[in-house]
Amino acid sequence: MRPRALTTFAALAGTSVLALAGCTGGGQADKAPAADAAASPDYSGTLSILTKFAGEPLEPYFEDLAAEYEKLHPGVKVELIQETDQSIKDKTKTLTASNALPDVYFTWTGTWAENFVRGGRAADLTKVIGPGTEWGKTFSEGALSAFAYDGKYYGIPLYGNGKFMGYNKAAFAKAGVEVPKTFEELIDSCTALRKAGYEPISFGNKDGWPALHYMQQLFAYDVPTATFEADLKPATAKLDDPGYVKALTRFKTLVDTCTDTKTGTNGVLYSSAQEAFADGKSAMYYQEILEFDNETAEGKLPVGDFGIFQLPAPQGAAGDATIVEGSPEGYLINAASPRIPLAVDFMKFVTSTKNAQTLSAPPYGQPSTVIGAVTPETSSKAVYEGIELVNKAPKLAAWLDTVTVPEVADAWLSGGEALITGSKTPEQVLESVRQASAAAK
Amino acid sequence: MSRRAAGLAWVVPALALVGVFVYFPLVENFGFSTLKWDIFSGSQEYVGLGNYAKLVDDPVFWTSLRNNVLFAVVSIVFQVFGSLVLAALIEGVRSERWQRALRAIYFIPCAISLTVAGLLFYFIYEPNLGLLNHLLEAVGLDGLRHAWLGEEGTAMPAVMAMSQWQGFGYSTLLFAVAIQRIPREIYQAAALDGTGPIRRFFHVTVPLVREMTGVLIMLTISGAFQVFNEVMVMTSGGPNNSTQVLGTWLYRSGFVRNDFGYAAAIATVIFVVTLAIAVAQLWVARRRRVEW
Repeated sequence: MRPRALTTFAALAGTSVLALAGCTGGGQADKAPAADAAASPDYSGTLSILTKFAGEPLEPYFEDLAAEYEKLHPGVKVELIQETDQSIKDKTKTLTASNALPDVYFTWTGTWAENFVRGGRAADLTKVIGPGTEWGKTFSEGALSAFAYDGKYYGIPLYGNGKFMGYNKAAFAKAGVEVPKTFEELIDSCTALRKAGYEPISFGNKDGWPALHYMQQLFAYDVPTATFEADLKPATAKLDDPGYVKALTRFKTLVDTCTDTKTGTNGVLYSSAQEAFADGKSAMYYQEILEFDNETAEGKLPVGDFGIFQLPAPQGAAGDATIVEGSPEGYLINAASPRIPLAVDFMKFVTSTKNAQTLSAPPYGQPSTVIGAVTPETSSKAVYEGIELVNKAPKLAAWLDTVTVPEVADAWLSGGEALITGSKTPEQVLESVRQASAAAK
Repeated sequence: MSRRAAGLAWVVPALALVGVFVYFPLVENFGFSTLKWDIFSGSQEYVGLGNYAKLVDDPVFWTSLRNNVLFAVVSIVFQVFGSLVLAALIEGVRSERWQRALRAIYFIPCAISLTVAGLLFYFIYEPNLGLLNHLLEAVGLDGLRHAWLGEEGTAMPAVMAMSQWQGFGYSTLLFAVAIQRIPREIYQAAALDGTGPIRRFFHVTVPLVREMTGVLIMLTISGAFQVFNEVMVMTSGGPNNSTQVLGTWLYRSGFVRNDFGYAAAIATVIFVVTLAIAVAQLWVARRRRVEW
């Protein structure tokens, strides 16, 4: 490029930057129209839905529902965009940034859903799904309130979820160990399980978030609840409770003592760890209820060998030993959708008792939040047991990467990886999170 | 219609398309980099050069930049100088059939998509089931076993090794073509003067492929600053950000940390670096033309 051309290009770029900066400052997304969620639906047009049901065995669930709904309402076409747990984060944000969110879209609870509510992108469904409404009464109150902000109800909870330690009963019997009642007993059991020929706990942290799940449950045990909740918000965070260092130290002990991959655990896929457990190579694997039925699918762990228990709390921990890690997951309706009543009608169909029972049963094994959908008859034993434990828990601790602001979640994520490799001490990890929290104020 | 008008009629649609799809997004990105942009509400607050100031204080940005530079250095060593040596060796093989076979062998990895190659190497490096650790074990080098992509010390070299494997054949092939263009008489004359193959390589081959060497150096550096796929597939920038490069840090800043203005600032840095390399490439290509 000749110098003159370069200068011209730079001048053009600079001018355009200033012009763009001037015209975009303070710009707003399209604000939601005042659509009435309770209005009668017009059964025509295309309804677009972004799900987290891509891949086997989940994919056919929404496909079947869409086909059935189209049959019931021939004027309606249901367009599915099915993503995986990993890809839906990027997809949702890309669609949000380009103002192209579909009519109905998947959401986690916590700050994830709050972002959409705060940004005016989620329709207020209080009139149709709030407690006391006909539809609202079909859900457990806890599940509904997980998507409530400032007294308004935005989300349609589809299934409940919780994290438990899955264990191989045959491996435990062979090693002569009992289900541990304390964290210390869990660590002690690893020696016997290893001697019996098993990797005590398979764990893959290639994506970073699996470590956050251990850390979140241990924080709930080691840090007083009020302190931890205040620490999740940068405005009130102090992150100086000694429980954090204790919890991080315990996590490191678990990785070093109970996994075979130890400091190299970041190089293992979550799914590889799951396979190791399902193939009977490891004795334990920390997993979500949503994964339980995968473990006992055909050719894998025999149903009778699969058991679950809550990650045991350490002795004398300062937090709350009754807290279970988990939260419901659900769907929001795009506030800018011209088909809000139709979207509501479709989601009512999705959460009908019949469809909720199908969702809760194998092969899907996604425990519906609809009251009465998960029973010993309709669900597998482990899914039923897991969701019962979630329902009985006085309080749930939602996933760390969705319950705090992204910068802080990212600092916990990197910190977890550094703790595993041994490049940072628990104190250094906590300090890096403190810095991220301070910067996010 | 005059010839000039007819020419313009042909060129204008193409120019418009390039303008809309190439130059406008570039300029728009500069605009985004001056904003604090909340994608959820759509609000955009002008922060001037604030995002660039934030870059200076961001240790992960510097780690990313360092990794890109390291990538460039390693790629120049392997993909430029290494492949020049290899191309000279291949071209020195007397059998035409063997030459063709060797070129194909080295070129095949280039035909595999980066994502597929990344996944393939992910499984080669896997600590429990991976081929590499099994091989080390088989030859009695158990002590060298590693969780290659899971340890901060080995993750970046492991990713770079895969990238070299993938790109090596492309530059080898280009050098092979450049060597074939050198008149045989020059080699014959050198041989008559009694020069050995090593001296012929340094005194005939290297100077006469300098044009291609210059182009490949620029392409390699430019490619090293645009690295994304292999890192994303193999490590996502982890563990503990040790394998972040500018591309993955851009992605993480935007799509994980919701800081799209900051991500745009990183994109601008990548653009400026690659633009500078492109300008240098044009300059070098013009000055170092080989004629015989």
